[in-house]
Amino acid sequence: MATSIRGRGGIGPALPLLTPAYLWLVVAIFLPLSAMALFSFMTELPMSGRDWSLTLEHYAAFFSSGLYVTLLWASIRLGLEVTLWCAIIGFPAAYVLARVLKGRAREAIFLLVILPFWSNGLVRIFSWAMVLREGGLLDTTLNAILPFRIDIDLMYSYPAVIIGLVHSYVPYMVLTCYLTLQAIDNALIEAARSLGASRLQTLRRVVLPLAMPGLLAGSVLIFVPVVGSFMEPRILGGRTGTFYGTVIEDQFVAVFNWPLGAALSFILLAVVLVILSLSAPILRRVQ
Amino acid sequence: MTNLLGKLAAQAVLLSVCTVSVHAAELHVLNWKGYGADEPWAVEAFEKATGHKVVNDFFNSEQEMLTKLRTNPGLYDVVMINAAFTGQALAESLIQPIDTAKIPNYADISGEKANSPMLNQDGKVYGVPWVWGLTAIAVNDKSFETSPTSISVMWDEAHKGRVVIRDDAVEAIQFGAIASGQNINDIKDMDAVKEKLTSLMPQIRTFWSSENDWNQMVASNQIDIGTYWSGSADRAKTQFNLPVSLVIPEEGAVAWLDAFSIPVGSDNVEGAEAFINYMIDPEFYVEWVTKVGAPVSANEKAVAALPEDAFNRAVMGDPKVADRIQFQAPITDEQRKEYLAIWQELKVGAQ
Amino acid sequence: MMFTTRLLEALGRVWIGLLLSFLYLPICIMALMSFNASPFYQLPFEWTTGWYADLSRNGRLLAATWNSLQIAVFTTAIATVLGTAASIALFRYEFRGKRLLQALLFPPIAIPWLITGTAMLIFFFGVGIGRGLHAILLGHVALALPYVIVVVSARLQTFAPELEEAARSLGASQWQVTTRVTLPWIMPGVIAGGLFAFAVSFDQFVVSYFLSTPGEATLPVEIYAAIRKGFTPEINAVSTIIIGISMGLMLVTARFFKFGGEK
Repeated sequence: MATSIRGRGGIGPALPLLTPAYLWLVVAIFLPLSAMALFSFMTELPMSGRDWSLTLEHYAAFFSSGLYVTLLWASIRLGLEVTLWCAIIGFPAAYVLARVLKGRAREAIFLLVILPFWSNGLVRIFSWAMVLREGGLLDTTLNAILPFRIDIDLMYSYPAVIIGLVHSYVPYMVLTCYLTLQAIDNALIEAARSLGASRLQTLRRVVLPLAMPGLLAGSVLIFVPVVGSFMEPRILGGRTGTFYGTVIEDQFVAVFNWPLGAALSFILLAVVLVILSLSAPILRRVQ
Repeated sequence: MTNLLGKLAAQAVLLSVCTVSVHAAELHVLNWKGYGADEPWAVEAFEKATGHKVVNDFFNSEQEMLTKLRTNPGLYDVVMINAAFTGQALAESLIQPIDTAKIPNYADISGEKANSPMLNQDGKVYGVPWVWGLTAIAVNDKSFETSPTSISVMWDEAHKGRVVIRDDAVEAIQFGAIASGQNINDIKDMDAVKEKLTSLMPQIRTFWSSENDWNQMVASNQIDIGTYWSGSADRAKTQFNLPVSLVIPEEGAVAWLDAFSIPVGSDNVEGAEAFINYMIDPEFYVEWVTKVGAPVSANEKAVAALPEDAFNRAVMGDPKVADRIQFQAPITDEQRKEYLAIWQELKVGAQ
Repeated sequence: MMFTTRLLEALGRVWIGLLLSFLYLPICIMALMSFNASPFYQLPFEWTTGWYADLSRNGRLLAATWNSLQIAVFTTAIATVLGTAASIALFRYEFRGKRLLQALLFPPIAIPWLITGTAMLIFFFGVGIGRGLHAILLGHVALALPYVIVVVSARLQTFAPELEEAARSLGASQWQVTTRVTLPWIMPGVIAGGLFAFAVSFDQFVVSYFLSTPGEATLPVEIYAAIRKGFTPEINAVSTIIIGISMGLMLVTARFFKFGGEK
């Protein structure tokens, strides 16, 4: 992309456009989170009325027990798997929406894809429980159709967590991929084809690189929150539902240990940022 | 939409002009949801009798209740606190002494509960006992011909994958203490507790967190047995007609006491006293038990007003039961953190 | 050749059909259970409209729904405008610290909302903003902003800056360049960003939970409180009504506006 044409020099001209959004973020998010960051270095919370001092013990706690590392790794794996599934399901769907369907049908289906995530997350999870459990909808329907008997009891398992999360996040992928796929000029694809490129080659060399910003934005918007998710794992995962997000939640809900909870969250944030920055150059090369 | 703008403007003005609460005749009550104080018929009867308008707010964990008290000084007039936490609320100066002379029904509360050291300090009363109950086990009647009597049924291979336990570190550890024959308030052999719980993990279907979870699972016949609260088991049976029976195992059960306190800064102490008095009144209690299902009242006259064969009177009042239950004592923050670490370790190991 | 194209297109349509079935399966269950008599989703199915009748008498739930709608609409409007402006600035200008500003969008998404919510509660309490609908709006806009910026930026990546340059060389003012050239091109991204913002706000329970006052809650807060005890299909009923109405509205809108136009 020709960056040379874009404005040069200082931040000056950008300020009027940037200030309102970032000022809002500072007041509502960054200042509160800074307070939390401060708490993560304290032995006791100031409002508990006890004496406090500065410490690194909560960050050390992460490394001293294998528990948190194991869980963080499990959560990252969960995030990657969910992102991958969303891409596998969402990208082709976005492609069909952007390049095959036309007119009103396209607009209508597009909106239908987004609508489910306007419904309440908890209600959706409870509905999944209805579908996935033994004797639930999936089990009953499959056994009614299939000639042989199979027992399907996906509830309270790792696959159930994946299904619930993919369901919640796949619209993000469809949306962001659509935005970049729709912008690709047909002439480019036709040119590639007329020059003898196969469908697969066109997809790999022309469509994918051009759609990459959307695929990346979607992946980030899915991967990042999934790593810290706790509601879906807790309700759908049962015995297998303990993840990094759930142990952070416990520090706030089960015990009054905000310092440790905050420290664990900031470690999560750091790891996520490192993963994003490490993957950026690799992805850029693909592009 | 102008509605919201108007509200926002009004709130902004109010915030800048005055810091004092503006709800004069309102009575703000903080409690679990669906736990007596928010029953519509009860609120209506109380409002009619006293003229105070009840506004309910809810919490989902004790920690959240404390946070709400800390960050909303002066907002709440009545708060329901598990007696094991009353001391902590007092240490943080969140609650004030109660003038029990203004609460006529206080005299009928059983002496041992009213005088509990958890609720009294320096001769002042900081909590009025309301109800008590058990964390015992409950069974799905469809899975048992006769109700089991021992806690060991949770480890029975026959129920593998159909056992539940609450996702709560303190409850889990204390359950383990009872299963390994120890005092829940003075666990000497933590390794025995861990061992018991580790061997329980393969039996577990899921960890429940709310009454609704339990009821849904038993309604769809997914579980046979699990830890449950006595009042909830009663409610499942009475209000929802679910096949649930409470079992108080011969090894014992954990008992807890819930009490009402008045937060510091309440601007309607008189209303709070009237509300607490109403909540421990026999008339309210009998209606609560019959219509909805409830734990056991701390008011002896209220329990005596129940039919003789009522579970809360016949079984819970049985001296033999009283002998084997253990009341929860306050737990220090350090113990709580330790329990949580053990519990998380166990849950991760179970995967 | 023609045949393969047709076949692939047909497969594509099937794929969309499967995606929609997957997305709507739990929604249909939710709607179905709002007509089932059992409060615990028990089968066999027993038809009732009782939950809707209960809902119509449940002032608390209805008021919460109304609050949620208002907050979501305001959040969408504010976050979309501010977020689009910031995205354009981040795209158009090169300056020192730009990467930092972009990285700053991730904490609100990455840090679990529980921590952000607690932090907001403490901070707003400390500086006197307090709790209430105004605080919820403040929080929701902040949570929605990063989503809007990420989505609009993705669309901007497809924009050729030469177009702006060309318009400028023809004598267009900065304002004209933005409104006549840039905005029309990124409009699908802006609309998508708005839809995200609405979803983030409307389904947001953690932050609302900490910032709401007893009298004035939002719908997810009421639902969250209800799952502890007495979660009833009234909640399914209200969700069904919301989905039904939004579906109607969306299908009507889809007739009139083109989402990105034809290529």
